[in-house]
Amino acid sequence: MDISERLNVPSTGEEIEPFLEVTPQLVQQRRSQGRIIFDRFIRNRAAIVGAIFLILLFLFCFVGPLVTTHNQPDQIHVTDVAQTLAGPSWQFPFGTDDTGRDMMARAMAGGQVSLLIALISMFMAVIVGVSIGAFAGFYGGIIDTLLMRFTDVILSVPLYLLLFVLSASFTDGSPKSVILLISFFGWQYAARLVRGEFLSLREREYVLAARTIGAKGFRIMFRHILPNAAGPIIVNATLLIGVNIILESVMSYFGFGIKPPNSSWGTLVSDGQGFFDVDPLLLMVPALLIFFTVLSVNLVGDGLRDALDPYMTER
Amino acid sequence: MGRYIIRRLLQALLLLALLSVGMFLLIHALPGGPEQVLFNPRLSAAGRAAIRARFGLDQPLYIQYLKWLGNALVGDFGFSFVTNQPVSELLTERFPATLELFSFALVLALILAITIGVISAVRQGSVTDYGLTTLSYFGIAMPVFLLGLFAQNIFGVWLHILPVSGTSTLGFTYDPFNAFLDRFEHLILPMLVLAVSFIAGWSRYMRASMIEVSKQDYMRTARAKGVAPVPLLIRHALRNAVIPLITVVALDFGQVAGGATITEGVFAWPGMGLLFLDSLTNRDFPVLLAMLMISAVFVIGFNLIADLLYGVMDPRIRYS
Repeated sequence: MDISERLNVPSTGEEIEPFLEVTPQLVQQRRSQGRIIFDRFIRNRAAIVGAIFLILLFLFCFVGPLVTTHNQPDQIHVTDVAQTLAGPSWQFPFGTDDTGRDMMARAMAGGQVSLLIALISMFMAVIVGVSIGAFAGFYGGIIDTLLMRFTDVILSVPLYLLLFVLSASFTDGSPKSVILLISFFGWQYAARLVRGEFLSLREREYVLAARTIGAKGFRIMFRHILPNAAGPIIVNATLLIGVNIILESVMSYFGFGIKPPNSSWGTLVSDGQGFFDVDPLLLMVPALLIFFTVLSVNLVGDGLRDALDPYMTER
Repeated sequence: MGRYIIRRLLQALLLLALLSVGMFLLIHALPGGPEQVLFNPRLSAAGRAAIRARFGLDQPLYIQYLKWLGNALVGDFGFSFVTNQPVSELLTERFPATLELFSFALVLALILAITIGVISAVRQGSVTDYGLTTLSYFGIAMPVFLLGLFAQNIFGVWLHILPVSGTSTLGFTYDPFNAFLDRFEHLILPMLVLAVSFIAGWSRYMRASMIEVSKQDYMRTARAKGVAPVPLLIRHALRNAVIPLITVVALDFGQVAGGATITEGVFAWPGMGLLFLDSLTNRDFPVLLAMLMISAVFVIGFNLIADLLYGVMDPRIRYS
C-alpha cells in the first residue's frame, strides 16, 4: 500500500494521519486503541446507516409517544364495531386493531418493551456466555469439564418445560423476570462458541509470545485472544436480538412478561396473524419493525466486527 | 484421543444420572397432575386418589423415581397415561419422522449456509454480499410460523404443486416407489422452512469467520505460492474457519430429539415436537421423562462430536 494512496483519504482532522506508515510510534501515542476502533467504525457507511436506524427506532418508541398524540395504546378509539380494523389514515397512520385501538401507539409502546428486553437480555447472555466460554477454553482440564458439563445440563432442559413449571409459582411477570429468564436461555451458544475459538486460539504463536513477555492469564484471555474471537461473538449477539424479541412473545403466551392490554412487538405479531386475511397491516407493522431492528443491529455488529479486526487495513 | 473419548462418555453417564433426577423433580413440579388435566374436573376426591394410586403417583417421589429408574435401565419406559401405549412404541413412531425432517434440512442447510457464507465473505462489501446478507436477515426476523404459512399459501394453495400438511396423501395406496415419492413431496415444505431458519444463522457465522481467516498471513503465503483460488478456499481457509460453524450446527442439531415444535405444528408433521407439547399439556409423565432423557443424550452426544471435530479440523487443539 503506497503512501500517495493514503494521502487521498479525506482527513479526519488529524494532520498526522499520512505519517502513520513512516512513524508508527508517533501516531500510536496520539490515537488510543479505542480511538482507532471508533474512527474505523465511523468510516463504515453501512454501520453508520444501521446506527442511525437504531437511534431512529429508539426515538420512535421512546420519544414518539411524548411528542405525538399516539400515546394511548390501551384506549379504544373506535367504538363502532364496523369501523375497527381500519386502514391507515391521518388520525391513525398504522390503522386500528380489532378492538379499535391505535396501532401506532401500540407499536410505540410495544417497542419500548421489546427493544429493552431484547437488548438487555442480549448483553447479559453474551457477557455470561463469553466469560464461561473464555475460562473453559483457556484453562481447559477440570475447569473446562465443570463449566461445559454445566452448559450441557442447561442445554438439556427445554424452555417450554421450565416455563410451564415456573408459570405456577413465578407470577409477578415483571420485565425483570422476563429479562432474567431469556438471558438464562441465551448464554449457552455464546459459551460454546467462545470456548471452541479459545481452544484453537490459545495454541497460536502470539499467545506464546505474550506468555513469554510475562503476560498473565486474564490479560492473555481478554486482551490477546478475545479480540480474535470477536467475529462469532458479534454474530451471536446480533442473532440474539431477533431471537429475544420473538422469545418474549412466547413468554407472554405463558403468562410471563407483559400482559394484555399492554403490548410488545412479539405479541402484536401473534395477535396480528389471526387477522392476516382481513387486515395484513396488523401483522406487517410489528413484523417490519422487528425486521428493521434486526437489520440495523446486524449492520452495526458487522461494522463493529470490522473495526475490532486487528487485520483490517485502514481505508 | 481414545482416553479423552472414554472420559467424556463416563462424564456423560454421570451427567445423565444427575439429569434424570433433576428432570424427574421438574416434571413433578408441574402445576396439576394427570388426574387433574386428563379426567373429569368434577371427579370426587376419592376418585382422584384412586387414579393417582393407579398411576403410582401416591407413593413418595424417591420410590417413584427408583421404580422408574429400575425399569428404564432395562429399556422399559412405562406406559403413556393418555393412550396407554408403551412409551417406547410411541417414540419409535415419532422419532423417525423428526429425524427424517431434521436430516434432510441439515444437509440442505449445511450446503447452502457454507456456500452463502463463503460467497459473502469472498465478495465482502459487494452487491452480492449485501443481497445475501439482507436475505438472511429476512430469515432471522421472520417468525417460523409465518414462513410456514407463506410457503403453504404459495406452493400449496396458489401453485398447487406441493402438499401442505401431513406425511402422505390420504385415501391412496401406492406402489413402493410412488409411496416414497409421495412422502418426499410432503417432506419438501417443512424441510425447506426448517432449513431456512438454520441457513440464516449458520451463513452469518460462516461469513464472519471466513472474513477473519482470509486476512491471515498464511493465506497470503499460500496465494503467493500459487495455490489456485478454489483449493485455497477449501483446504486453507474453510478448514480454519469452520470451528464456529461446527459449534452452532452441533448445538442446533442436538435439539433434534426435542423436535421442531412450530414447524411440525404448521405442517402437521407427526414428530417429537408435537408429542412433547401434547405430553406436557396432558402431564403425561412417562412420555415426558423418556423424551427429556433422549433429548439430553442427543444434546450431550452432539456436543461431544463437536469437540472431537474441533481436533480433526484444527490439530493444534489438544485436550490434555
